[in-house]
Amino acid sequence: MNEVYKIVFMGAPGSGKTTCIAALSDIPPVSTDVPCTDALQETKDTTTVALDYGELRLDGDNGRLLLYGLPGQSRFSYMFDVVRTGLFGAIVLVDASSEGAIDGLAETLETYREDLASIPLVVAINKSDGPSHALGLRCQQALHAHGLVAPVTTMDARRRDDVVQLFEVLLTLLEFGFDHPGKGRAT
Amino acid sequence: MSIVLPSQPHCHRALDTLLHRCDGVVAAMFALRDGRSYAERFRSTLPVNKFAAMSSSLVALSNSVLREIASDALNYLLIEGDAHKLVLCKVAGSKSPLILSIMAKHEINLGLVLGLAKMCAKEVMEAEPTESARATQTV
Repeated sequence: MNEVYKIVFMGAPGSGKTTCIAALSDIPPVSTDVPCTDALQETKDTTTVALDYGELRLDGDNGRLLLYGLPGQSRFSYMFDVVRTGLFGAIVLVDASSEGAIDGLAETLETYREDLASIPLVVAINKSDGPSHALGLRCQQALHAHGLVAPVTTMDARRRDDVVQLFEVLLTLLEFGFDHPGKGRAT
Repeated sequence: MSIVLPSQPHCHRALDTLLHRCDGVVAAMFALRDGRSYAERFRSTLPVNKFAAMSSSLVALSNSVLREIASDALNYLLIEGDAHKLVLCKVAGSKSPLILSIMAKHEINLGLVLGLAKMCAKEVMEAEPTESARATQTV
């Protein structure tokens, strides 16, 4: 099997999307970061304005993951149209270290609700010191409030094993509930 | 970190001049590099926020393509449709975080639009920065 799977990382600004793809990619990642000019510069120097791109080869002969990262701000929501075709699933990152973690998640869910309802989705709590049961519960509540159902898990977005595990969760979701044109193959 | 910007009235004057020089220009905007409008002049109603964000994405993506494929840097981005032309360029030569986006009718000569873009960007580039403040306070 030498399939190509296209997954997208989403989430509020600063949730770790660019860092994740840069840490995981087997090729030099493509980045479209620019210096911030708004209040975001208090917490980070740069922000993605188009997309991040990287590739991760799965162990053995199990194919490749094409990793796309979208900008966190809702004003860039049209970028989803660029990655939509053949999309295998989405990972929404939540920054556990941010006071606005749930607000950030809620904005992402609000912006992309219709798209996220039609593909396998995992919410991944990133930058967490340990188990985040309370935050996980609040993430589930946010999902519920937006009419979405998805597993919520804790991960270190810089660790390859964690991302591969999330991919396996997406694969399971696909096998047991989703059926869409992008199933198992990027275009 | 503070960013230095030309004043918004100065940018508006430059855009007014640009539109005055060519009736075929339907929209002109100075957008911040991270996708927010700083100054704009439209002859008709356009989605300001989307235009600014898309300008930022297009320039960033074009930069990435040139950097990855040819180790080059972007000067201009030209997009031609059935009814319109779109020219985007960075306001370079300083630490300016501005992008100039111009939309013109299709029948307008591309060289003219490019020339207008150059003049407009130069005019703003050469302006003494009258504001040295955080962009968040001015936008």
